[in-house]
Amino acid sequence: MRGSWPLIPAALFLAVAFVYPVALLLGRSFVGSDGGLSAENYARLGESTVVVRVMLITFKIAGWTTLFAIIAGYPIAYLLATLPASRRNLLAIFVLMPFWTSFLVRTFAWIVLLGRNGALNQLLQVLGVSDPPSFLYQFSGVMIGMVHALMPLCVLTMLSVMENIDKRLTDAAGTLGARPAAAFWRIYFPLSLPGAAAGGLLVFITSLGFFITPALLGSERETVIVQLVIFQIKEMLNWGFAGAIAIMLLVVALVIFYIYDRLVGLSTLSGGDVRGGASSRNPLSWLGSKVGNLLLTAISEVSDAIGRALGALMPARPDRKPRRIGGKVLRFVALAGIAFLAVPAFFVVPVSFSESQFLTWPPKGFSLQWYREVFDNPLWIGAAWRSFVVAFSVAVVALMLGVPAAFYLVRRARRTTAIMAFLISPLIMPHIIIAVALFYLFAQIGLVGTTIGLIIGHTVLAIPYVVVTVVAVLKNYDIRLDHAASTLGANGVRTFLNVTFPLIRSGLIAAFMFAFIISFDELTISLFVTGGQVTTLPKQMWDDALLRVSPALAAVATLILAFMTAVILGSEILRRRGVAK
Amino acid sequence: MPFNRKISRRSILLGSAASVAVSAVGLSIRPARAADSLTVADPGGPFKDAYGAAFYKPYEEKTGLQIVNVAREHQPTSQVQAIVDTGNYSWDVVTITQGDEVLLHDRDLLEPLDWDLEHMGDIMKEARAPDWMGVDVYATILAIRSDHFKDKKPSSWADFWDVENFPGRRALRKSPIDTLEIALLADGVTPDELYPLDLDRAFKKLTEIRPDIDVWWTGGAQTSQMLQSGEVDMLPTWNGRAQTVIDADGTVEIVWNQGLYSIEGWAIPKGSPASDEAKKFIAFCADPKRQAEYTKTLAYGPTNPKAYDYIPPERAKFLPTAPAHFDKLILASQEWWGENKEEAEQRFNEWLLS
Repeated sequence: MRGSWPLIPAALFLAVAFVYPVALLLGRSFVGSDGGLSAENYARLGESTVVVRVMLITFKIAGWTTLFAIIAGYPIAYLLATLPASRRNLLAIFVLMPFWTSFLVRTFAWIVLLGRNGALNQLLQVLGVSDPPSFLYQFSGVMIGMVHALMPLCVLTMLSVMENIDKRLTDAAGTLGARPAAAFWRIYFPLSLPGAAAGGLLVFITSLGFFITPALLGSERETVIVQLVIFQIKEMLNWGFAGAIAIMLLVVALVIFYIYDRLVGLSTLSGGDVRGGASSRNPLSWLGSKVGNLLLTAISEVSDAIGRALGALMPARPDRKPRRIGGKVLRFVALAGIAFLAVPAFFVVPVSFSESQFLTWPPKGFSLQWYREVFDNPLWIGAAWRSFVVAFSVAVVALMLGVPAAFYLVRRARRTTAIMAFLISPLIMPHIIIAVALFYLFAQIGLVGTTIGLIIGHTVLAIPYVVVTVVAVLKNYDIRLDHAASTLGANGVRTFLNVTFPLIRSGLIAAFMFAFIISFDELTISLFVTGGQVTTLPKQMWDDALLRVSPALAAVATLILAFMTAVILGSEILRRRGVAK
Repeated sequence: MPFNRKISRRSILLGSAASVAVSAVGLSIRPARAADSLTVADPGGPFKDAYGAAFYKPYEEKTGLQIVNVAREHQPTSQVQAIVDTGNYSWDVVTITQGDEVLLHDRDLLEPLDWDLEHMGDIMKEARAPDWMGVDVYATILAIRSDHFKDKKPSSWADFWDVENFPGRRALRKSPIDTLEIALLADGVTPDELYPLDLDRAFKKLTEIRPDIDVWWTGGAQTSQMLQSGEVDMLPTWNGRAQTVIDADGTVEIVWNQGLYSIEGWAIPKGSPASDEAKKFIAFCADPKRQAEYTKTLAYGPTNPKAYDYIPPERAKFLPTAPAHFDKLILASQEWWGENKEEAEQRFNEWLLS
């Protein structure tokens, strides 16, 4: 393992804080009711069709969420990537809004917006639709809630890759005679794929763990696998069977990851280019690239045909018209996507000033009582402060561990698929399993009920996001730039600071934000490893929502939103000053 | 020299990893818990305030012992298991439901209580277990929108099933708990014949109403939201959730008839080093005046019937154990659920997915 030192910190950390405790817990699944070694828990998996069917439902939800998030997110990322930095950062605020509105508030916002007497139906009735369609309490409700929650993940990952694509490449293609569509699909699109592949991976695996959104917005059939695990852990105290379900989930998810990796090229994503020829060795990836090429040719032909047809319809300036129409359509689709992401946030703000005891639309009257309630209660302030500190620490530690691992994966590693699978496995494991496992570990070393324990627990979850995001950015990074810098006499640190860092900066920011928000919104692990002794913001919100979700939660969400927006705007102003100098 | 550079980078990383490790260890040394405090876990939120005023503050004043109040998760069974397994007693006392008591008792995870202490003899018999004392009674009741049902109001689970005479949007809980009982009661099973539950009959009855169920709810706050916004016109929910809507705008009524009640109460994780103090604290919570106090903000029923001597009648009518309607309620059998939860849940899931 010569030269594998960049991987060691992350691997060591995950080995101690994830593999060891979780393996101990999952090991119980091999113990029978008589205390001896037994496969009875695994035999039980097949006894009823419930586990298998729920597994299928879970993967179906995750699959569709991923597809929609990529399709809707791509134009947004593309638009942001092609805008000048100042306008990009302003629009990014709206894209990020789902992150800052807390999953509880966000989900209830959809219930109020899309419900029987909700804002959308009120609007439709005003417009004369007598029997408006219902989106809630069926599959479409789950999709709206989940795509909304996870699309920012996809957009940011794609954006950080697209920012590094040299625009002159498509111009060059045009100069060489490629029509705009062909230039996009044959040049730009393939270069942007690592972002889509990585974003899709993150969305897919994160979706597997979502259970509150399907439960609140879906029909009675949208039961997901995490709910079965939670039932076994809490209602039955049958951790053996829970472990068997979790292992089944892990195995199925890793098999899907393997196929996905071969088809969509995450392994090309991690270093394939540098070594070259990786794709031809494996029949699956060979098939993937063949099908992909055919598909891209077909798409570019079709869009060119559409472009020509539109050009023929409007023959004013035949060589430029198609491009502009395409640009307008793209802009419209992207802005619609951004509006979708921002809508619940714009709902939350007015509701926080409501006089009503509930989240209602339209908000009744005007009152500052909910803000008073939040500021008068030291619990809220304490919880918010703690959550910020924990999330910030998690983001810093996760970057310290994850970034070197990502560099290693892209530049040196063999067996990338296996290492990648290992690094993303904390995301597949249901949080409740990690939570229980960590309690046993922390009890041995005195970390139960401590903030440090909480940071360690959240870092386990955050590392996969950092690794995948940074790997995606590094994929298009030309290592010869480093070599050039080195040839010109720069040492490692200077090369990193002056060459590497500026190029991967947006990827690092995205990774930081993911790690931050993962911790900031996490409830299960916080609750379990602290035994309730460290109250975080999600916990405080959850407690407050025991009987009802009051506008106080909307007020908290509004404050976070305002704070985060101020931070982003502030950094934008600083950036502009820096540029001005 | 490239070699040196590598070394220095590595040592920086190792150094930072080590410093994280050191600070972790350093901070992990928890202050030894003072013997003069008791850590009590409750569901948090409204419970924190109500129990604080009723139990924690008065107990601190009376004994000088500090009550450290922490919020537990929605269902703390696995946390109790982990606490006892590891001997890391982060909680001295915790509220659990009677159903959880059955589960934890079977695994010998709870400390026996001292039932000879003051006031404990007054506790209603349903709220007693060797290692658990019920402190509040909550009921799954039928909540109806009074603006939707103006003239003819549903008054039983059979009415909930009667879509002809009581049209309106309906929701049921996406869980076999209480839902199976409700189906059987709607089918005419009498309370004394309710247990053991006839699963075949219950699912047959549920199949009847299934096309008319608009929402299958999963959380309590969701039901108050749906009642308040008029998303549905009637649903079974916990009385406390319906009460928040009544308190806010009053367009909701509670049907106590055929309500199913359950009990939540105090328990001590087995082997707790503070178990003697914890037992005394639990006895303090049996005091009728103390129990009457929490009903000011929490709409749950005291387990000490004497508490009603201190509760004004206008409040009592919203509490499950109030003499006026307590005899209409049916105790959900936790013994039955303790033994059959897994099978019921599995059949319920199969039925939902069918």
